[in-house]
Amino acid sequence: MERKKYPLFFSFPAIIVFLLFFITPTVIGIYYSFTDWNINADEIKFIGLDNYRELFNEPRLKKAFTNTLIFAAAVTVLQNVTGIALALILNEKLKLRNLLRMIFFMPYVIAPLVIGYIFRAIYHPEHGIVNRIFDSVGLDSMMQDWLNDPRFALFTIIVTDIWRVAGFSMVVYLAGLQFIPKDLTECASIDGASYWTRFKHVVFPLLAPAFTVNVLLAMIGSMKVFEIVMVLTEGGPGYTTEVFYTYIRNTFSSGEMGYATAINMLLFVLVTLVGVPVLMAMKKREVEM
Amino acid sequence: MYKMKAIYVWLTMMLMMTALAACGGNNGEQPGTAAEGSDQPASESPASAPAKDPVTLTFLIPNTDDVTPYNEIFKAFEEKTGNKVEVQALPGGDYDNMLKTRFSTGDFPDVFLMQPGTKQYVKLRADETLYEWSGEAGVWDNVIDSIVEFQKNADGKAYGVPFGKTGMMGVFYNKDVFAKVGVEPPANYADLIEIAKKVKAAGITPFYEGVKDGWPTQVFYLTGWVSQVDQEIGDEGVRKLDKNELKLSEIAALKDLFVKSKELKELGLFQKNTLSGTFDELQNEMGEGKVAMAFMLDGILPQLEKKFGKDFVRDKIGFFPFPSATDTGTAMITPPNQLMVPSKAKNLEAAKELVKFMISSESVNMFYASHPGIPIFKGATSELYPVQQTVQQYIDSGKSKVNVQNRLTASFLDLGKTLQSFHISGDVDAAIKEMDTNYVKDGNSKRLEGF
Repeated sequence: MERKKYPLFFSFPAIIVFLLFFITPTVIGIYYSFTDWNINADEIKFIGLDNYRELFNEPRLKKAFTNTLIFAAAVTVLQNVTGIALALILNEKLKLRNLLRMIFFMPYVIAPLVIGYIFRAIYHPEHGIVNRIFDSVGLDSMMQDWLNDPRFALFTIIVTDIWRVAGFSMVVYLAGLQFIPKDLTECASIDGASYWTRFKHVVFPLLAPAFTVNVLLAMIGSMKVFEIVMVLTEGGPGYTTEVFYTYIRNTFSSGEMGYATAINMLLFVLVTLVGVPVLMAMKKREVEM
Repeated sequence: MYKMKAIYVWLTMMLMMTALAACGGNNGEQPGTAAEGSDQPASESPASAPAKDPVTLTFLIPNTDDVTPYNEIFKAFEEKTGNKVEVQALPGGDYDNMLKTRFSTGDFPDVFLMQPGTKQYVKLRADETLYEWSGEAGVWDNVIDSIVEFQKNADGKAYGVPFGKTGMMGVFYNKDVFAKVGVEPPANYADLIEIAKKVKAAGITPFYEGVKDGWPTQVFYLTGWVSQVDQEIGDEGVRKLDKNELKLSEIAALKDLFVKSKELKELGLFQKNTLSGTFDELQNEMGEGKVAMAFMLDGILPQLEKKFGKDFVRDKIGFFPFPSATDTGTAMITPPNQLMVPSKAKNLEAAKELVKFMISSESVNMFYASHPGIPIFKGATSELYPVQQTVQQYIDSGKSKVNVQNRLTASFLDLGKTLQSFHISGDVDAAIKEMDTNYVKDGNSKRLEGF
């Protein structure tokens, strides 16, 4: 059967919007990253690669770079592991299944800022519920200053963000699970395959499209992390939880627009360099049904 | 099924009506204000009678400042002129940046409060953006001469009108704790350390440091600067710093301040969890007598008054400057804040009228009644707290110096962050290098001569 082709001009409105609101600002942004645009200066001069040279000599950016990668790697892996686990559990016939699905998804619809403020109270060294629980069960040694101790601050933010986003992964995996024909898993069961074997050889390969979407979204989203870090630690103490966007914000607010745009471009390149190979690798292993 | 459809239709209609109700309304005007003639200059109406077409002025202030006295003044202004003032308190840490952003997008407030010094003129590109006051009648007559001079830049122009009081930074202490331990304010720095050790031996925290908030950590260095760095480099050294002819890392006395701070930490003279220390907790701990001393600014006084009462601040809180190696040190003072009006303010004339009203003797006395301080206006009366009287004595005896940050055009950018890192690592050289780099970066960013 021949597919019906729509006229090309049907796509013009979308193309115009895309050009106007995405491509144009991006191109302008690329240009500004090669200028000395500063809120304190009268004119904007083209300075070639100076901003980028300065970038690579900035120790604070190195710290932000390292923290962003650690955050992105940890969140991507743990968000997906938690998401799959929740999806598998809540795909079973359980009482209150829908309620539980809603409860686990709910953190995702709450603004990260609100979550940050709530967790600031939860992690408070003296009055926070975490330390109170440790105290009440006699585990005093586990009581920590979760957000202000440089040893724990980044780890604490990672845990909070996983709590926030795991529900989203769960929903995507649940959707993927609905498309797996029951007869495949039932056949495997009849053949004597254990739960783990069924998951490894039947379910997980067929979940590949959902896995690709989840990994990619988690990776890109976590590399662009900002609000949760800002509200929990503001990149501190010192620079111990500084990430790309907290550094960019700091540079923007000190008026160095050109330099800040250059950092943004660097992040754009980094996300592309990491995202594209991951996407290609995962697309290869997707199974057609 | 028909029932369900009817419910959906009703729900949809109700949602649409709610949305429409939210969209309609007051055409962006504040509730209760007149929409018509809002850009009519208020000064055309006599100041003594309410304006025929009142306007609503916007006033920006950092949320670290207490707005109570301002609200009282604005209430009196409204009664007199009919013009309202909408106070917008912006986050203190981001105040400058938010202000600059509003300037760059043309979203000018009518009046705003700014930190002291002509360096602010550079930061805000005053010659292009701010109203110039030096020739304005009825502004300068009551201002103390030294403050008038401080407001003017090299060209003799003043883009801000001073408002408030002479501030101070130094060591605030709980007198009851000192009495309990049996110690007196120190005669020199070594004496201070001995006092702190005695306080610690008595089971009380000697010093509280608000590292989490960042900004309180700077007070140690800024107060220490006037007592020991100024002695080493003098006014000439500060001038060289201002032109970037001297590096911060070359100043031995500054390095010594970092060493001293590290020593306090190593001796266990700060509270247990310095990294989670906040300004708010400091007030509680000092008020309850759990902490003896803090390097702090006088902004703590109204906060302590709110929590523990006026009598507590008057009778139980003492002050001494950062002691030098040989004497009690130099009192660090901060010039008053300033009121600024953008030249493109929507209600320029009414804004000017508001500024003049704010510095009238009636308003100034109203301000000092709730915020006692060393006055900057001739004939103004203010009941000084004993801690302010102590500073006044230092000023009278010539042992006071203005905060170095108010004498330099470039700023110690991100000093709070640098000091947080220093508290973690204890690396003196790295901290002073970072402070130096950020200072030069700020001068460079502001396109200052020599940077």
